[in-house]
Amino acid sequence: MALRGKPRVVRLAMVLVPALLLAGCGSVQERASAAGDTATRFLEAVAGGDGEAACALLAPETEAEIDAPCAESILSEALPAPAPVTDSEVYGQRALVRLGGETVFLAVFPDGWRVVAAGCTPRGERPYDCEIEG
Amino acid sequence: MSRALRDNSLGLVFGSLFLIVLVGQAFAGHADFNHQQLAAGMEPISLGRYLTSASFAADVAENWQSEYLQFFLYIFLTVWLVQKGSPESKKPGDEGRESDREQKVGRYATEDSPSWARAGGLRRTLLSNSLGLVMGLLFVASWLTQSIAGMAAFNEEQLRDLQEPVSWARYLTEPDFWNRTLQNWQSELLAVASMVILSIYLRQRGSPESKPVGSPHDSTGVEG
Repeated sequence: MALRGKPRVVRLAMVLVPALLLAGCGSVQERASAAGDTATRFLEAVAGGDGEAACALLAPETEAEIDAPCAESILSEALPAPAPVTDSEVYGQRALVRLGGETVFLAVFPDGWRVVAAGCTPRGERPYDCEIEG
Repeated sequence: MSRALRDNSLGLVFGSLFLIVLVGQAFAGHADFNHQQLAAGMEPISLGRYLTSASFAADVAENWQSEYLQFFLYIFLTVWLVQKGSPESKKPGDEGRESDREQKVGRYATEDSPSWARAGGLRRTLLSNSLGLVMGLLFVASWLTQSIAGMAAFNEEQLRDLQEPVSWARYLTEPDFWNRTLQNWQSELLAVASMVILSIYLRQRGSPESKPVGSPHDSTGVEG
């Protein structure tokens, strides 16, 4: 009985394992795309002068680091103009999005991706130097 | 039913303990992960999300790979290496793969031998090395899993610290990968060395892992 059942288990695994792997890849791509959208919306809000929309996309710790009222202060930060997303990498609860030469760090919250740091420039092995960060 | 339970009690107890402890690790790891989430100003994640995270996979796989490496090495090295006085070892002089008669293969196979022991060629070679090979394959698969999950977990921390994520190839050269790997290897090798050497002088009455209580310290390969 067990021997007869085995091929079915193997067949099932042959279908399920690639399906789960593909689902996992699809999920990662969707999450990377969503992170890219948030980064773009954030930079577009800043460039369009909509400070409230920009602040609504900030992680709480990052918003807390900006002088109140956030909606006014965020517009005076030296943040880059929006550019097409060239790369978006997601690892667990964190994401990095590159827009042209700029880098934005994000983290996921129950309502979606929020910006943790923006206007970031690399410093080799050391952490990025960011205009705003939490 | 009770006979079947008794006849398989060792495998059943260890299998059950494994599942209980794995569940315990899942809850403890989830709590620890969320503690770090809160410390970083983020929201806690669900248990389901944690169980599919790279962090949990890396923590599980790094321990699995070292266990399978331990058994793989032990199974293969005890073919060729001996330890005088240890019940874990063959007697000095018996090193090697032994004769077909001793191993009951080919024409020396008995009626109740596995059919592949009677067969020749690849089937006999596979059966003759199946225990070590499967342990070796499980080691490689677990170590590979550790490297991939470890890279993702490492990169999550890199992004938390506003640092550049690394590729898989680069992760294999990172101290994080080797620290996770070697801290497990050293403990497994210590455990094997302890078992091999302590079992020369110490006894556990009734255990097949020990020689009989009254056996002399220099008797090798005698299990009680």
